[in-house]
Amino acid sequence: MDIVFIVISILTILSSIMVIRSSKLVHSALYLAGTLIGTAGLFLLLQAEFLAWVQVLVYVGAVVTLILFTIMLTRKGEEE
Amino acid sequence: MFANTYELIVFILNFIGIYNPINDFFKMLGIEYVLRIIIVLVEIAVLFVFILLTVMFLTWMERKVVAMVQARYGPMVTGPRGLLQPVMDGVKLIGKEDIIPAKADRWIFTLAPFLIFIPALLVFIPLPFGESLIISDLNVGLLYIIAISAISPIAILMAGWASNNKYSLMGAVRAVAQDISYTIPLALSAIAVVLYTGSLSTVDIVTAQSGTWFGFIPKWFIFLQPLGFILFLIASIAEMGRIPFDFQESESELVAGFFTEYSGMKFAMFFLAEYAHLFSVSAIVVTLFLGGWSVPFLSFIPAALVPLVSLGVFLVKTYAIIFFAMWLRDTVPRMRIDQLLKIGWKIMIPLALINLLVTAFILTAGRF
Repeated sequence: MDIVFIVISILTILSSIMVIRSSKLVHSALYLAGTLIGTAGLFLLLQAEFLAWVQVLVYVGAVVTLILFTIMLTRKGEEE
Repeated sequence: MFANTYELIVFILNFIGIYNPINDFFKMLGIEYVLRIIIVLVEIAVLFVFILLTVMFLTWMERKVVAMVQARYGPMVTGPRGLLQPVMDGVKLIGKEDIIPAKADRWIFTLAPFLIFIPALLVFIPLPFGESLIISDLNVGLLYIIAISAISPIAILMAGWASNNKYSLMGAVRAVAQDISYTIPLALSAIAVVLYTGSLSTVDIVTAQSGTWFGFIPKWFIFLQPLGFILFLIASIAEMGRIPFDFQESESELVAGFFTEYSGMKFAMFFLAEYAHLFSVSAIVVTLFLGGWSVPFLSFIPAALVPLVSLGVFLVKTYAIIFFAMWLRDTVPRMRIDQLLKIGWKIMIPLALINLLVTAFILTAGRF
């Protein structure tokens, strides 16, 4: 259990650092999805299944998708 | 009756009489968790092989149904009645060159086909294939299914954006717009079913549908929720992105939508995910509205045969829904994107809300 916790925590922290480190907006949004999935994994480790899947549904499924959607619709001119 | 396939496997091993010797052997070595891991891995392998075989069969079936509707034969050369055609397709796709466009985002481009396959597989975990044939009976099963299917738009957007192709991007944007607008009526009509059962567990939903009214009408939720069933079916066909709602890959406008730039094995991954999705969505429709693996005559069957018979019943029902989706694809023309969004937001969501409201009202009124 401890090993799983450490691995998930490291992945979550790394991807949340990458959210602010990466230069492309789309990459940031994808790392954000990774961070949120990692958080859901931590909830699963705490036996909070409902919270974990709601986290995936609301944050990964809706928030990140909408962020990505918006970035793609507005990215003209800023690319390369 | 077992809670999941793990217990079923343990029971069968016990029945043959090899569970305890193996368990003792691993206990002697001090690693008794190895046996658990092996059993779980066997479960995963069986499920994976089942999904791959199903997908191969579905590609063949799709061609045959199209051929039947158009009064042709379809694939006939490879194997009996063309049954080995999917194998040939697979060999051809593996042999193709794997092209990555020069201006594509290499990492995301490579990752997207695999990411789209993961939710398509994960959805199978809480699906009850038959009595005691379920990988894991999560007590938030339905929420899990909806949450996992909500991940796939991200993979679609990744594929569309990373290809650096305007058709891919358009396809991805359309696919996600469609997905977002049709997940809402999908979830709302599923919630109406949950109101009846009072549980999100798929096993509870199926058990609530066993038995009959007046001795001959099976207690399936399709009879209690006819509107919910129609909404759920339409929304799930739209979510799968099949004709008449296949805007993500409408050939006449967008070449092939978000996977225009993909070739070889990566293209095959999209194809696999699409058909795995078709099967899982039909299985969910069956579980929620058509009684899952339960049929009225199941109580007359000897207990040892019940898992097998219920698996058969479940597959028959699922293939009926799949056949309906294929039949629809061959007979109905594609809609326009504005019509699609209009139906989604102005008709389906209000209807789903009314359905939910009426269901909740009836259930509350019945309680007094």
